[in-house]
Amino acid sequence: MQARSLVLAGVGLLLSAEVVQGQSPFAPKVTGPLSQRVVAYQIDATYHPENHVVEATETLTYHNLTGQPLDRFPFHLYLNAFNPKSTWVREAHRDGSFRSSTFKEWDEKRSGSNDVTKFEVVGIGDLTKQIKFVSPDDGNADDRTVFEVQLPRPVAPGQDVQFKISFKAKFPEVIARTGYKRTFLLAGQWFPKVGVWWNGAWNCHQFHAMTEFFADFGTYDVKITLPKNYVIGATGVQTSDADNGNGTKTVAFHAEDVHDFAWTADPNYKAVESNFDGSVGPVKIRLLTYDSTKSSWQRYIDVMQGTMKRFDEWYGPYPYAQITVVDPPHGALEAGGMEYPTFITGDTVWWAFQGEKLFPEGVTEHEFGHQYWYGMVATNEFENGWLDEGINSYTEVKVTDDLYGRNTSVLNWMGAQMGDSELQRLQYLGRPDADSLARPSYTTMSGGSYGSVTYGKTASMLLSLEAIVGEKTLRQAIHVWFMKYRFQHPTTEDFLRTVNEVAEQDLNWYWQQAVYGTQMLDYEVLRSDSTPVNWYVKDLDEKKGETEYNSMVLLHRRDDFVFPVVAEIKFDNGETVRETWDGRDRWMRYTYRKKAKIESVQIDPGYRVTLDRNYLNNSHTDERQGGAVMKITTYWLFLTQFVGQMLSWLT
Amino acid sequence: MADESKGIISAGAGLVWRHQRVFWWVFAVNLILAALGTAPAHHQLEEVLGQSLAGRPLTNGFDFGMFIELFRVPESNLYRSHHDSFHADILFFLFMLFVSGGILTVYHEDRKLKAGEFFGACGAYFWRFVRLLVLSLIPFAILGGLYSAVDKLSTYVDDRVTPASAGFWILAGGCFILLLGCLWVRLWFDIAQVRAVAQNEYRMLRNLWRAFGITCRNLGQLFWIYFVISLLAWASLVIGLVIWAHLPPTVTPFVFVLLELIIVAQLATRLWQRASAVTWYGRHAAMFPTDAVDHATAAPVELVEPQSSSSETEPLAESEGALEPEFPEEPPQQP
Repeated sequence: MQARSLVLAGVGLLLSAEVVQGQSPFAPKVTGPLSQRVVAYQIDATYHPENHVVEATETLTYHNLTGQPLDRFPFHLYLNAFNPKSTWVREAHRDGSFRSSTFKEWDEKRSGSNDVTKFEVVGIGDLTKQIKFVSPDDGNADDRTVFEVQLPRPVAPGQDVQFKISFKAKFPEVIARTGYKRTFLLAGQWFPKVGVWWNGAWNCHQFHAMTEFFADFGTYDVKITLPKNYVIGATGVQTSDADNGNGTKTVAFHAEDVHDFAWTADPNYKAVESNFDGSVGPVKIRLLTYDSTKSSWQRYIDVMQGTMKRFDEWYGPYPYAQITVVDPPHGALEAGGMEYPTFITGDTVWWAFQGEKLFPEGVTEHEFGHQYWYGMVATNEFENGWLDEGINSYTEVKVTDDLYGRNTSVLNWMGAQMGDSELQRLQYLGRPDADSLARPSYTTMSGGSYGSVTYGKTASMLLSLEAIVGEKTLRQAIHVWFMKYRFQHPTTEDFLRTVNEVAEQDLNWYWQQAVYGTQMLDYEVLRSDSTPVNWYVKDLDEKKGETEYNSMVLLHRRDDFVFPVVAEIKFDNGETVRETWDGRDRWMRYTYRKKAKIESVQIDPGYRVTLDRNYLNNSHTDERQGGAVMKITTYWLFLTQFVGQMLSWLT
Repeated sequence: MADESKGIISAGAGLVWRHQRVFWWVFAVNLILAALGTAPAHHQLEEVLGQSLAGRPLTNGFDFGMFIELFRVPESNLYRSHHDSFHADILFFLFMLFVSGGILTVYHEDRKLKAGEFFGACGAYFWRFVRLLVLSLIPFAILGGLYSAVDKLSTYVDDRVTPASAGFWILAGGCFILLLGCLWVRLWFDIAQVRAVAQNEYRMLRNLWRAFGITCRNLGQLFWIYFVISLLAWASLVIGLVIWAHLPPTVTPFVFVLLELIIVAQLATRLWQRASAVTWYGRHAAMFPTDAVDHATAAPVELVEPQSSSSETEPLAESEGALEPEFPEEPPQQP
């Protein structure tokens, strides 16, 4: 067994070396291996577009680096989630919707499946009949997204085992980031994928509506046979393209130090290419798009260039040779906004206008960010969704603010403006207090709560943390987090410890509330006024600059999240005082004696504490501020009049 | 016909201009009711933003996030105030339903009515116009059903063809045609209202049938009149909004005036349509049969007998239910 394993490893290395010499999957200044390569997948697949089916054989070489003998292996079959009895559909139906799809009724077009037709273990034999479906999360016997195979003898530590699996994947119409639409196919989570041995046990969750994926690093060699008029893109780099002479072609891809493999194909694709010159050499950007969204092509390229530059400078290098960006066709929104290693899907519309920055810029930036948070820092998305989605939402705010302006990174059109930090905050406040960040993501109350907390709360929590440790320190902490934990599977505690170390502070008081708790944050200016010192004098003649005043500011903490805040007090003689309150007591009073009255008080004048759930009570002014009141009243009046005259048209 | 249409459009405009009092009263009621409907929202805004710096991002630009905050935060919750605005709109709708009879009488007689006469006319025609309103819901509901079909077709095409905008253009084209359909229904029922006033007609079903015949036989000219005036209304809206979009964010008084001018244009063009319908009907009145009048409940409205200048006018049909004959080449002159 040992000799066979050595030979296999040698052959594997040799094969990899041959491919690397021909077409390296890495940027010019990078050489692998970059990770502990637990798995090596070789897949030969044939795609049949007429019925959206892929038939394939998979050879999976698993290196037992666990330090323990293993005789049981769980596998994911994600496409089996797309039937009405599965856990995934059950949860989507419970919540009523998933992304852009409603689940009040079942549409047969949404059916998908992954059937294992043969399961063989090299050196042991055919174990197809030993396949047993399990439901470790909710006991749903109808859920077929995880199966296990028990081997008759264990694989010793340090040894390899090779699985030969024949399977047939039937794709649904685009749902949950995979599927077909007309001639378009996005093949995500399409092959049997082994679970992860993590923290001393197998970690192989069922597919849930709210969560994503978790897998080991390794190498992928995938050959796809499809009609030769199809344009194809995939994870990794293309290594060959052979015409089979029967109307089909076989295209081969190779990827190293990645933990998933996705691909896409459509005869209508247009390929647009560009290069990003980063710190480890040029990286090819390959955009697969359509004529109908031509107005967005340059926007895609520009946002990719800008994002890659900032990630390279702020957090660390992108080590791969290529990044493939897919622009899904219209009607395939469900395939948009998704990440796979070295392969992302953006989203745009044919009518996208310059004033909005969500499509394609915001989506594309976010998905590229996932190359770092999830792609290389490969956290467990089933259990700690916030570590990839949330940190990525935070870096999304930083990058888009830098690219498009803090107040205009989402919208800048006809005078209306909105920044990404505000968007994240609004998402957080949609369902802010049902679940903590630390709660295993697949057990959150609902899809809405998952979205609010995983994306919005994490971003808001980290943005608010900048007010404590500073933006530069937090950027440095994220850089260290990347450099230390890339190509590994870190946890919540690893991240919190990293930030504590870089900030050189014990921030556990903050993590207890922001990560492990569900407390809400709301500070208000309860009162502010100035009265003459000689208030008791009848007919007192107050003169600006001469009369002395006792001024008082009363701040109040309305909710339970304790957070230090800055209050800025402005006086009518031009003087400004800044007070820092630790927020521990329920209220704090500041008093002043000056020949000036208080003009205004504002908590958090820079709107940095985005966890604050109510900005409207953060300030108080002595004089009436009528500008916004009159403006909104004017618009409201006009709308009321307009609707009235439209209704009267019926008379 | 084009010249005649132009003449009717300008004559309609002249009617509205001569009887500006009607228009300004309508505008005033629209403004006052809307102000009453807006007052709770204003009060709420005053409480929340009146002494807060949170309004500054809305004054110096328009921070959309802060605007959403006004609706999101339970303590302010502007959303609650939309009920008051909606109630104000319903009141204006009822007001216009009530005064339509009086307005049409003013235009039909082309004279200033005393308050008693005006409201008398309003009351006289009110229930008839209510019946017409109820009946109008039928064709509008049909058009609504057609919209649903267009929407399904647009989705069907969108799902099956590669060009991204195909479904959108089908929906846009379909909606445009349906809007023209709505305009035609509006025209038909406006003619019915005009006829009810001109002929003092009480039987609305018969009136509606007659108006249908009139509208169909003169569709080209009538529809063109309504279409042109509607275009002007839409154009004034678009131009107004474009100007608004280019204004600096802090010139609220100027914005107020501009938005009110948009409302003036919308209301005026609607009255213009009605005045044009009255003008057209008056010029062709000789061609339409006068049905028996129920004097017991007749409103004190003076019928105007058209004077025909042509000897080629065909005789009017006397039997009930007969369709109006084609109008002659030379229409009779309005006295």
